[in-house]
Amino acid sequence: MTECPDGLMRDQLPEYVHGTLSADAAARVDRHLEGCASCRHEVVVLKSVRAVAALRTPAVDVSAIVAALPAPPARVLVLEPRSRRFTVRHWQYAAAAVLVLAVGTTTMWRAAPVADPMRVADSATVVAPLPLAADTPVAVALPAAVRDGMSLGGGLSDLSVADLQALLIQMDSVKILPSRDPASMTPVIEVKEGGKSE
Amino acid sequence: MGASTRDDDATVDLALIARWKAGDQRAATEIVQRHAQPLARFAASHGARDGVDELVQDTFVRAFNSIEHFRADASLRTWLFTILKRLMLDRQRAERRQRNQVELDEGHAVQEFNALDGLVADEMLGRVHAAVERLSPLQKEVFTLRVTEGMAYADIARVVESTEGACRVHYHNAMRAIKEFLSND
Repeated sequence: MTECPDGLMRDQLPEYVHGTLSADAAARVDRHLEGCASCRHEVVVLKSVRAVAALRTPAVDVSAIVAALPAPPARVLVLEPRSRRFTVRHWQYAAAAVLVLAVGTTTMWRAAPVADPMRVADSATVVAPLPLAADTPVAVALPAAVRDGMSLGGGLSDLSVADLQALLIQMDSVKILPSRDPASMTPVIEVKEGGKSE
Repeated sequence: MGASTRDDDATVDLALIARWKAGDQRAATEIVQRHAQPLARFAASHGARDGVDELVQDTFVRAFNSIEHFRADASLRTWLFTILKRLMLDRQRAERRQRNQVELDEGHAVQEFNALDGLVADEMLGRVHAAVERLSPLQKEVFTLRVTEGMAYADIARVVESTEGACRVHYHNAMRAIKEFLSND
């Protein structure tokens, strides 16, 4: 028997026997088989091979196989608690960051006046940071001209030339008197009222 | 064409795998039901008459244990056949080593052949079976996957680790050899 020259048709015969061809393709094969003895013979062989394979194949116990399989990873059940832990951890990080920022800002705000004592001298009387004993603060009474005409809210660089000159004149009027009790060596600073000169 | 049917099957398999990964054990049952019998058929047609169940079970266990490595560029069935093929090769190697240690029992093969003759009672089926058994191992693998499973040459090439063109040649040579055997017998 001569072999069919239609290679494409012969290539489709296994799918035809297997039943996986589309309806149109299967119809074309049917029409071809009517006039091709070689392909009809091949179809008989193919069906026989399938029948032999089916006869020789033992039935498989599906439930036994399934029982031997590993458990599914169950991702849905695992992901949910993981995402919760993730959120809590981030809340903890966020709270810690806010705490550090708050403490840091407060500390810097409180430390600022110590670094520059002139910046808080908005009152008429200040405690001068002189290198004396801790229990002997020195009272400094600012002159009226200073109280009325000068603001000590800023640094020296904030003062005008006129203000600086007035400040120097007032500093000249400051008199430091020795203490009556030499043992204590407590200095007393007096500032004359409006005194431009001694 | 058969390609659309194969695509539909592949889509169903991918959906089942996704369900199983999400924790649905019933999806595993459906996967086994879809593919166990073809795998058993392939194993049985390649001489693994003993322990077909075990081979198929091992194939599924290995597949599910490494399902993360499954790439959708091949169908699940092709991937399963590839695993089964490797298991069968491992078993053949082990049997070969055992055969080197134990003296070959000559009567065993004769008994198997007689039992098979009884099983395949139909004369035509018996002749076809004899013709298929005369094929080379590679021809037989390609022919079986093409005929009994309806696999495309591209998928067969993955299983037997060859090329699509070579598989097409193997198939047609096998068919020619079987037809010649049947006409001469």
